[in-house]
Amino acid sequence: MRRISLTLARLALAAFILGLWEYAATYWVDPFWLAKPSEIAARLTELAVSGDLWLHGRATVTNAFWGLFFSVLIGVPIGLLFGANRFLADTIEPFFLGLYSLPRVALAPLFILWLGIDDLSKIVMAFSMVVFVVVLNTYEGVRAVDREQLDMIRVMRGSQFYLVRRVVLPSVTPWVFASIRAGVGLALVGAVLGEFLGANRGLGWYVEFSAGRLDVIGVFSGLFALLAIGIGFNEVARAIEARFMRYRS
Amino acid sequence: MSEAPKKTAVELHEVSLSYEPSIPVLRDINLVINEGEFVSIVGPSGCGKSSLLKLISGLVNPISGEVSVRGKKVVGTPPSIGFMFQRDALLPWANVKDNIRVGLECAGVTRSDHDSRIQSLLDLLGLAEFGSHYPHALSGGMRQRTALGRLLAYAPEIYLMDEPFGALDALTKIAMGRELLRIWGEQKRPVLFVTHDIEEAVSLSDRVVVMSWRPGTIKANYEVALERPRDPRKVRMLPEFHALVDKIWSDITEE
Repeated sequence: MRRISLTLARLALAAFILGLWEYAATYWVDPFWLAKPSEIAARLTELAVSGDLWLHGRATVTNAFWGLFFSVLIGVPIGLLFGANRFLADTIEPFFLGLYSLPRVALAPLFILWLGIDDLSKIVMAFSMVVFVVVLNTYEGVRAVDREQLDMIRVMRGSQFYLVRRVVLPSVTPWVFASIRAGVGLALVGAVLGEFLGANRGLGWYVEFSAGRLDVIGVFSGLFALLAIGIGFNEVARAIEARFMRYRS
Repeated sequence: MSEAPKKTAVELHEVSLSYEPSIPVLRDINLVINEGEFVSIVGPSGCGKSSLLKLISGLVNPISGEVSVRGKKVVGTPPSIGFMFQRDALLPWANVKDNIRVGLECAGVTRSDHDSRIQSLLDLLGLAEFGSHYPHALSGGMRQRTALGRLLAYAPEIYLMDEPFGALDALTKIAMGRELLRIWGEQKRPVLFVTHDIEEAVSLSDRVVVMSWRPGTIKANYEVALERPRDPRKVRMLPEFHALVDKIWSDITEE
């Protein structure tokens, strides 16, 4: 029951915003600056029919996905390693946080210079956005492991391997998922940034391309597609998380 | 009391402990727990009662003195020590069965025997219907039963219990105490039971050890000459019970 009313409330909110927007774009704002939702819908349909939406959308989604995937694949073990060895973590920390604070946008030209304008530079860009969050969260997760749970296993003389499998990994899991949820948005940002600066396809490229031709409908269509992808990614991440952590509810 | 000479299960000889150099936690502790004996330690909070259990289980090391379990000096965790924590230390992502299984796995029980062992422990502790519940869905009493199940699954030979029923309401506390005595009566393993509840200590134990506040030292030893087997609820109606509780009370509040 709550689910249905929630969905209805969300749809009503979307309809209200789009309606207001349509009205504003029709009567208040110069169409040069703002596209109407109806025009955006028409353009998106057109793009979908021609197959361009699929082409660009797929490029952005796959690049963001691989960026996210490698961030988890590489970031989690690094976070665990930091957690297992405090001295190592403390040694690396200032450099790591320095890199983390560096605006990754500033690295994008370098990635494109090194890796070309194909997918790889976008994947690395997305990776560079997300991996820090994964490492830091995993590390925090290890530090937050319940001491009594560790002592409990230690007193029963469980092996180090058993300790990691039974206590450390399960208690780190929610932290990793939290970083994935934050990483979904960041990975898309990374992929799109890469496309802005040098690409021949992708939704970021399409937005940039449209802006270059003063095609405001094209810009908004690209943004809408990105918005929809963001929502979809988040829902998928949430569903996976809920499956993994059923014990909480 | 039997005629045979008592065997020592746990011995602390002139043991001192501090976590930071200038802050002594325990000083010159001498304590012997015999096989089959149920000993409680009472004292004000912060007197190092819990640290005493950690010393015996090898989780911390003394700065001086010697801790030995069954005649062997404690280095690392000795075998067959069972530790029950005040907070149940259950794994929230594992259901009741799997939490109990942890004890079996640590004890190295063959996997094919797990299910039957778990089932009999669930029956013993009145948890039969809750095997697939997760800890968050259980009451405090149920959680401690599960923790007790895990402890029994490990089949320790020495029980260290750190205020295991401290967070429970008065009724559940007495019920759990009775359960513990029933199990203890069958196995007669030595128990070292830390609590700040003097009535609980007297109702369960053969001996009550009183500790003083910081640095913790052993202040007094009281033999509890109440009949065995004992019902920890009924025993509370006896005049001897109250006399002893009163004596220990005044001993503690004297400080």
